[in-house]
Amino acid sequence: MTFHEKSAWIMAFALSIGGLFYAVTVLSMSSGLGALAPPLIPTVVIYTVILVVLAIIGHIVAVAFAPEDADEATDERERRIIDRSGHLSAYVLGAGVLFALGLYLWSYNGNLMFYALFASLMLSQLFEYVVQIALHRRGVY
Amino acid sequence: MGGRLPFDNRVRELREQHGAMTQSDLGKAIGVTRQTVAAIEQGRYSPSLESAFRIARVFGVGLEEVFGWTG
Repeated sequence: MTFHEKSAWIMAFALSIGGLFYAVTVLSMSSGLGALAPPLIPTVVIYTVILVVLAIIGHIVAVAFAPEDADEATDERERRIIDRSGHLSAYVLGAGVLFALGLYLWSYNGNLMFYALFASLMLSQLFEYVVQIALHRRGVY
Repeated sequence: MGGRLPFDNRVRELREQHGAMTQSDLGKAIGVTRQTVAAIEQGRYSPSLESAFRIARVFGVGLEEVFGWTG
């Protein structure tokens, strides 16, 4: 497994944990309020901190186990994988943005639109890393 | 995400003929990772023309002796 693939696994894991934290927090706040909770800066900050800390720890562990792999430059296959996954994840983000805008036009609920946009961002990022892992495993043509 | 490539290659065979060169050695010689050499050998990656020429040069053969069209 190349360092780049390990990095994709780490980021997919970190994004999943961060996303889970964010979803659980919003759902529990909303059930307490009896309505959709408004987006709060501390929740976004904690989500970001979780993401950054997990990414840093994960990469430190990956480097500790195989330091020589971490020094390898990204090669042509990995660059193609990055390009392909970035291209495909852009569609997910675009569809999410359109969905969020449609949701707003339908509900006129800004909070809902924020969550839909934030979820699109999270899902597109997660999708990008999942595609990278899949292309590393199945091959890129 | 694609299907099989329309060509095969003799990279593994040529490596073994050249003093049991490892995938890692070949990767260093042409500027890619060991995993990329493995992917080329298994037909999971179509190398760039530049890398294809580099592989052929490492083994001292022509491009068509390394890669063959299978359609």
